[in-house]
Amino acid sequence: MKNQVTKYYPMLPVLAAYAALFLIGRNMSGMWQLVAMLLFYCALGQAFNIFLGMTGYVDFGYVAFMGVGTYGMALAISRLAHIEGLGAGIIVIGFVLAVLMSTMLSIAVGAVALRLRGAYFAIATIGVNEGFRFLIEGARIWNGSEGIIFTAQLNQILGREAASALATFWADLFVLIIAVAAALVTLIYMRSKIGYALTALREDEDAAKVMGINVTKFKIIAFITSASFAGLVGASSWALKTPYVFPPEVFEIHYTIEAIIIVLLGGAGTLLGPLVGGLIYGISKYYLSIFIPGFQLLIFAPIIIVIIVVFPEGVVGMLKAKTRNTAAGRFIV
Amino acid sequence: MTLLQLDNVTKRFGGLVAVDHVSLEIDAGQFVGIVGPNGSGKTTLFNLISGVFFPEEGRIYFEGADITRMPPYKRAPLGIGRTFQIPRPFSSATVRENIAVGAMFGTLGKKLTVDDSMDVADQLIEKLDLTAHREKAAGTLTPVEKKLMEIGRALAMKPKLLLMDEAMAGMHPSDIDQMVAFTRQIAEEENISIVAMVEHIMRAVIGMAEKVIVLHQGAKLVDAPTQEALKDPKVVEVYLGGSGGR
Repeated sequence: MKNQVTKYYPMLPVLAAYAALFLIGRNMSGMWQLVAMLLFYCALGQAFNIFLGMTGYVDFGYVAFMGVGTYGMALAISRLAHIEGLGAGIIVIGFVLAVLMSTMLSIAVGAVALRLRGAYFAIATIGVNEGFRFLIEGARIWNGSEGIIFTAQLNQILGREAASALATFWADLFVLIIAVAAALVTLIYMRSKIGYALTALREDEDAAKVMGINVTKFKIIAFITSASFAGLVGASSWALKTPYVFPPEVFEIHYTIEAIIIVLLGGAGTLLGPLVGGLIYGISKYYLSIFIPGFQLLIFAPIIIVIIVVFPEGVVGMLKAKTRNTAAGRFIV
Repeated sequence: MTLLQLDNVTKRFGGLVAVDHVSLEIDAGQFVGIVGPNGSGKTTLFNLISGVFFPEEGRIYFEGADITRMPPYKRAPLGIGRTFQIPRPFSSATVRENIAVGAMFGTLGKKLTVDDSMDVADQLIEKLDLTAHREKAAGTLTPVEKKLMEIGRALAMKPKLLLMDEAMAGMHPSDIDQMVAFTRQIAEEENISIVAMVEHIMRAVIGMAEKVIVLHQGAKLVDAPTQEALKDPKVVEVYLGGSGGR
């Protein structure tokens, strides 16, 4: 039994870090905005890591799952607002819809694209994102390019004050919970057969196959899990914080790139990596844009290059190697 | 009892016939050496048996069941294990985890839990004398240690047939022979058939084999008990050049 508990020790630093972030945001004036941004990046990294980090496959269309998640929440609120007595339950329905929609999209994409290997998979996924955006705009699905604005419905259901609290506090708290949940699922996977199968296929797919691992099945499991968390992040960080959704904004490939940077920076396939990567990325981005506005990317790009060159396994990947077989190593995975 | 049977199997890569109408039989518990120079089709033959490729013609049977087009991950649990010419460890995972993966996914019937698989790995690590490397990342091992670990990984699958791709991959031939001898000992204990791939006929491995199959340009040249095969004029011709009275 003791063994079962010690297996989950690595959750402690994760929980401590998110608790610290929350307390800093609540207790230091003017910090919540920064904390909210950091939480978004950490959650994004935590979710993407389950696929990118654990399988080694790069999905350039990842933001599409956040996009459909955002639509899930937007559709729930805008279409169901007239039903009496739903109250805050409409948010729950929104989250459920967000997960369903991102899961469905990931099954559709994964069933086709995950049969491709490495670079071919990456190329195939670039199209998914743009294709889905143009499908929504061109076929005028869910109001097409006009998007969905649901500020009025949200105010009507929850009242103006609660709606405002939702955007400025609760949405960010949901993101925190999603990030922690994604980290927990990552650890559960790592400690189960799924994690071993994913490690094996990431390191050598052919060797994994001849050892009895159904690689396609495990890739799809990681893909769907990762996508459904992305849907949740979109639903809360985008739909609930800003009660509108426009296709060009939620299918912006830029976010996929940010997610890739965060995961690689922190350490792909590690539990703490996305958290560390999200913090480094978010804090540098925030302060660079304050101190040298307009030049932040110019400074930022070399910093990222240096970090990747110095720590090819990511910051946590390096720490993990250093602390292997030590007491601290039990907490750093 | 016949464990593995290939019936007229052919595999082409474009215009190149890598394996050309090969038929062979391997009995349960038998130790077979597959001999042939570079490019004679040995590795392709292994890939066909483990399911990395499917043949264009012919059928493959394992314990009487047709596995010709069965995906590799389904064949492994039936009892087909293999090692690779150049060891292919899961580099970031530890030696223990590497071997445990074999037990976790490669065994038939009720699947082992993660913890039980680790126990299997620990037993094999002791047998293979890898205890000092148990918690090391597999990528940091020497080639010989990697090869040993791969054998452990394959044995963890409780195979009935073990395909050993033991061509020279930066290893001293005497190390290989020692390893094969050791594996053979385990195989005898557990009634595992071994098909070992050898590049040179003079190798000690051949001395241990009950039967030798010689491949030449994709086709089966000789399939006979070891002593007979070594004396076969066709084998002499392939290895030492034509006699032609010169």
